[in-house]
Amino acid sequence: MPKITVDGAPYEVAEGRTILQALDDAGVLMNGVDIPHYCWHPKLSIDGSCRLCQVEVEGIPKLQIACNTPVQDGMVIHTQSERVEQARQGVMELLLVNHPLDCPICDQAGECKLQDYAFEYGVQHARTREPRRALKKRVDLGPTIVFDQERCILCRRCVRFCREVPGTGELSVFSRGDHSVIETFPGEPLDNDYSMNVADICPVGALTTKDFRFKIRVWFLEDVPGICTGCARGCNVHLGVANNRVYRYVPRRNDAVNETWICDEGRLSYARIGADDRIAGHERREADGRSLPASIDEAVTTAAERLRAVIDRKGAGAVGVLASPHATNEDLFVVRRFLEALGSSQSGFAVVTGRSDDLLIQPEKAANAEGCRALGFGPAAPLLTRARGGAISALLVLGHDVLATDGPELLETLRGLDVVLLADSHHSELEQVAQVVFATRVAAEKHGTLTNHAGRVQRVAPAVEPAFEAHAEGEIVWRLGRALGLPGFEAAWDPRAVSKALSEAVPAFAGIDLDSVPPGGVPKAGS
Amino acid sequence: MQKAPFVTSYLTEHTGDDAYATLAGYRACGGYEAARKALTELSPEQVVQLLKDAGLQGRGGAGFSTGMKWSFMPKGNDRPKYLVCNADESEPGSFKDRLLLERAPHQMLEGILIGAFATGAEKTFVYVRGEYAHPADVLQRAVDECYAAGILGANCLGAGLRHDVVVARGAGAYICGEETGLLESLEGKKGQPRKKPPFPAQFGAFGMPTTVNNVETFSHVPHVIAKGAEWFRSFGTEKSPGTMIFGVSGHVKRPGLYELPLGTRLDEIVFEHAGGPPDGRKVKGVIPGGMSMPILPASQLDVPMANESLRERKTMLGTGGVMVMDDTTCMVRVGCIITYFFRDESCGQCTQCREGTGWLHKIMQRIERGAGAVADLDLLLDVAGKMEGQTICAFADAAAWPVQGLLRHFRGDFEEHVKHGKCPFPESFEL
Amino acid sequence: MVISATTRSAIDAEIAKYPRKRGALLAALHLVQREHGWIAPEAAKALAELFEIRPIEVMEVVTFYNMYFDRPHGRHQVRVCTNLPCSLRGARELVHALEQHLGVEAGETTADGRIHLGHEECLGACAWAPMMRIDDTYHEGLDAEKAKQILDSLK
Repeated sequence: MPKITVDGAPYEVAEGRTILQALDDAGVLMNGVDIPHYCWHPKLSIDGSCRLCQVEVEGIPKLQIACNTPVQDGMVIHTQSERVEQARQGVMELLLVNHPLDCPICDQAGECKLQDYAFEYGVQHARTREPRRALKKRVDLGPTIVFDQERCILCRRCVRFCREVPGTGELSVFSRGDHSVIETFPGEPLDNDYSMNVADICPVGALTTKDFRFKIRVWFLEDVPGICTGCARGCNVHLGVANNRVYRYVPRRNDAVNETWICDEGRLSYARIGADDRIAGHERREADGRSLPASIDEAVTTAAERLRAVIDRKGAGAVGVLASPHATNEDLFVVRRFLEALGSSQSGFAVVTGRSDDLLIQPEKAANAEGCRALGFGPAAPLLTRARGGAISALLVLGHDVLATDGPELLETLRGLDVVLLADSHHSELEQVAQVVFATRVAAEKHGTLTNHAGRVQRVAPAVEPAFEAHAEGEIVWRLGRALGLPGFEAAWDPRAVSKALSEAVPAFAGIDLDSVPPGGVPKAGS
Repeated sequence: MQKAPFVTSYLTEHTGDDAYATLAGYRACGGYEAARKALTELSPEQVVQLLKDAGLQGRGGAGFSTGMKWSFMPKGNDRPKYLVCNADESEPGSFKDRLLLERAPHQMLEGILIGAFATGAEKTFVYVRGEYAHPADVLQRAVDECYAAGILGANCLGAGLRHDVVVARGAGAYICGEETGLLESLEGKKGQPRKKPPFPAQFGAFGMPTTVNNVETFSHVPHVIAKGAEWFRSFGTEKSPGTMIFGVSGHVKRPGLYELPLGTRLDEIVFEHAGGPPDGRKVKGVIPGGMSMPILPASQLDVPMANESLRERKTMLGTGGVMVMDDTTCMVRVGCIITYFFRDESCGQCTQCREGTGWLHKIMQRIERGAGAVADLDLLLDVAGKMEGQTICAFADAAAWPVQGLLRHFRGDFEEHVKHGKCPFPESFEL
Repeated sequence: MVISATTRSAIDAEIAKYPRKRGALLAALHLVQREHGWIAPEAAKALAELFEIRPIEVMEVVTFYNMYFDRPHGRHQVRVCTNLPCSLRGARELVHALEQHLGVEAGETTADGRIHLGHEECLGACAWAPMMRIDDTYHEGLDAEKAKQILDSLK
């Protein structure tokens, strides 16, 4: 392993890496060692054209671009010398020669690398007196992206992204010299499952998403780490939060999960958090069929009474739970404990499946189907067969994926049961057949962990508070257990205690609890 | 186009004869005997050594040792190796390769064949600039003749060497004269130079080990092989042996081509050979080696045309394109043309080049219009300085150097524009 | 049929010369342009299919090089070299004379579509300035009268 020295600090780096790659591997790039760069991106091929990452390498007379210079044992690198600073200043000044400097009306302002680096490394006043390049504004590149040619600094990240990641290659640089512009082929828009990533990697305000444009200035947003729950991949994201509202997801780098990307569908799934079809508070159904709002205590009391009646009449084995792949591992563990305490083995889970690809998109359209399996939940079908056959009289249904997997006859089956309790986050037909409806929290509203398709356990934490009363599935079930007087449910709800119990009780989760999961997640045992 | 230079030497001795462009005519002058000698009597190492001993330097602009370049090619045949002949002559002021292609294609092909033997290359791509349609046609005919005569193909000259030559045509982009820009273009892409590493000797055309040489460079090779290193060194200077074909253009009585030993003095070329400026005019400045090379003022023309001496005057031999400007010439207009050219031809990859070439041109135009300020002169130098030595290829340097040269020697012209708010040279050529 | 059978077989002959198909793209573009006068999006698509690349990769090449046109461009390409050696010997004056003669500005095509007049960078004819390139042919040592006569003879 070659040893290099950067600004006096030694690093041991992998063979065959370039200076920027090696510093990125070591986790110090722009995080201790500041080498500003535009065209280089850790997950794209090396371009070497912006020339901003020039550094001084002892023994080489010319400055070298750190992105493309292979490390060699004994290399001594200076990233902050006067020559380097001058070169950076030169690049910054030249990049601004044709830039429109329209920051006040640019939506990138606040997260613009041109703005940031110009401030950090550039010259303080413009020496250009000529008109700047006049190019196309507000170009509609496709369903998701708007392009401003004048702001583009031609780093070609977007071009390489489309060619190298989704492999669709919609973008290219046409013409040459200072006439160079990014274009699409006539009639072939930028339209792929990952198109919006180009807005993330665009260092300037040239590419912006139609979804987020002009919604809010980014400096009002707090970036809260979280997980996209659109599929079993569990892409790491930052939730952009302001005024207790999630305005967007942007991918958060996790080389073991999503690298630096996210699919468009997942990205836009943030809208589900604040959607109009959320179940906004608990409800219970009167004898005459009317639904009335209920407090958690009222809902739990009603639900417990109904369950108690079934247990007394038919035994605990007549109570089943349909678990949700949207619930956290902790929620699911509580469900498991509940069933054990009750003495029922009637459980299963359903998950909606759909299109997948070999990049990120997973067939299971929920964040924690793997957690369901890891916690011993089997498929829903046997449970539902038993329900149809009369062996089950009360069913607690978490989530409504089962509607999609089991078809219309499901509602008939449920109507035939004595008791149906629903805990869900969004409206569905299931509410029609439930006597009690609990409003649940989504992943962005609660503490917990999720197990992705590959068995990686990742942390979620509240980024926003629901505007109505809603509870995590785990808490709802916990309260039911308490109301039923089940052993082990005596204490008040405490997610941390549940998490600890989970890590002690289930070998797959040994050593994993809310406080120990690192920001990038951790594989559960055996994954 | 003249058929033969006004002054000829070994490269152009026969170019005046139309038949010399045909195989029969070339053979009548002893053609392909050097290749036969190399392929049958010498080893590849001996050929390379001979070129090193002769001290042949590339005639395409950079002046690198040809023998050294050939020795960089990896040995062994685990991957196909290629030669590329750079016939993308587009350096303004240069028109020598066009003569060699049109009038002496076999001389160059013989050099290529010797190069193929020395480097183990299985194929040569001759990349001819797209505008040179006629030279490319002439060359293609010569290549066809070689195949028919068994000089190229499966058993070159009956000596057991396999070699193919492909004539590829460009499509109008100066940057394709840069060797890795050329390789990209040859592969059917935009001619944007490649970042190094990797270098062409390891990863060249189509990913294979490749050596790129200029038309004139290849044309010298048969002569070195036939007549030896010592003979070759009898021309030129110790550090720069051989002749070079100089193209003289601009304000001279006899513009044209001159094959002269390296080290011939620039003033001799301009005044004695090319006849000097039109009567009643004086020389103001001379660009000695194609547009990328810094200009020299009339007072500094007493310089031998060889890199070792031109470097002392902060310029270089380049492609030997000598552009002469008389005393009517406005050097700011010259600056406008030069900066426009580089702006137009920048491939647009590197920030400094893409933005710098445009900015230089804008400043230059501003000064020419009379709208410039004194500070603009230093701004030109500052921008040129920011472009120099910092980009993927040397194009940005080539765009910066002439601007620096103009300000070094003709700052007065620029100051006059600023002072009077207009161009003070009423007789200068139009823009 | 965007690419004729004749052009297609000429392209195939070019492809055979290169270790990778794409090497022949520049040659193919020259051939297609000779047939159609420019590279239309449909032609770019047909070439993309032939070369197993994306249409946009064809167009990025078309727009990079001076000699390809991404829009209709006149029957004859007349290019006057206006680089330094030619400008020193009257190239700019020649352009102005031809602009007047044709009633167009450099960079434009005559109304009848006969001639596209343009500037060009150095064409390697510096000693015989001023000069112009018409399609594939050089005309050197010009004066305005001579040049106009040549233009008038173009069909």
